[in-house]
Amino acid sequence: MKQVPSCSPQLEIQVQSADESISLNVSDRELVAAVLGKDRKATAEFVDRYSDAVYNYVRSRLFPYTDRTDDLVQEVFMAAWQQLGSFRAESSLHTWLLAIARHKVQDYYRALLRQPVSLEEPDETAVLISLPQFDDALDAERLSAKVALTMAALSEQYRTALLWRYWENCSVRDMALRTDKTEKAIERLLARARRAFKDGWNHV
Amino acid sequence: MFEWGDDTFKSLANRAEPRPQAKRAAAPAHLKAKIYSGLLSIQGETGPLASLTATNTDGRGLCIFEEGVRILPVGEQVKSLNFCSVCHARLLGEKLSKAPIYWKNCPYADFHRS
Repeated sequence: MKQVPSCSPQLEIQVQSADESISLNVSDRELVAAVLGKDRKATAEFVDRYSDAVYNYVRSRLFPYTDRTDDLVQEVFMAAWQQLGSFRAESSLHTWLLAIARHKVQDYYRALLRQPVSLEEPDETAVLISLPQFDDALDAERLSAKVALTMAALSEQYRTALLWRYWENCSVRDMALRTDKTEKAIERLLARARRAFKDGWNHV
Repeated sequence: MFEWGDDTFKSLANRAEPRPQAKRAAAPAHLKAKIYSGLLSIQGETGPLASLTATNTDGRGLCIFEEGVRILPVGEQVKSLNFCSVCHARLLGEKLSKAPIYWKNCPYADFHRS
């Protein structure tokens, strides 16, 4: 069986830090026990207590293509039920659920990048342009807004490739392993995505 | 001349976040309703749910319909059925963004109230 290395160390840190305000407490264990006992009201409480966090996490990772958010959030909870018996309260239920959500989002990225892409070679010379404006002219907020606008104009596959590689810190090798593609194919995809981003950047 | 290569994008990623982090929103009530229905459904695939008697004993409130079933002189097996699956509150809760359901201790009503 192929070993797929862990991706996105930054994200792990974000998940942990987002959870700092939620203490590891007994009520998590009690709730889990009741849900495992198929208590319908406990199940409702489980959904009510954690669906906002999972929803926000998934939505933020999929933005701006959020139409799959509801489906992924439901998948997270169904997977959580399947794995709930293995919950050991070593982390809070909140952290545990976000870890499942992270895997679901990664699965979504993976499925997107597995779709066939154009085989045309990127024109690397087209990526050579004058110094981009974001060095000094834009503050962080405006820069983020411009990046978001540029990203929103990209195809879902290009956007996913860039987000996964640069914002989720996934290596080309890991992306290739997870999508059953060669590293060269991922490099080509990224080159096309960067070129599309550059073209969009100059028009935003 | 400047190349928008790997390093450029790594630098950009350190300085800009293209996805909204601060705009938090509550999960839609109809989504919560669907998740709850889905969980009860798969829980029921591997055996009966917890009896309404046990739920009531644990101090968790029952809706008016569940309470009616709980006090009936029937076996615990009947009281372990997934009554939510045939309740109109489920349909309204899953389909509408603001469902007109007001029963006390009904999860679907609670989702739409919260």
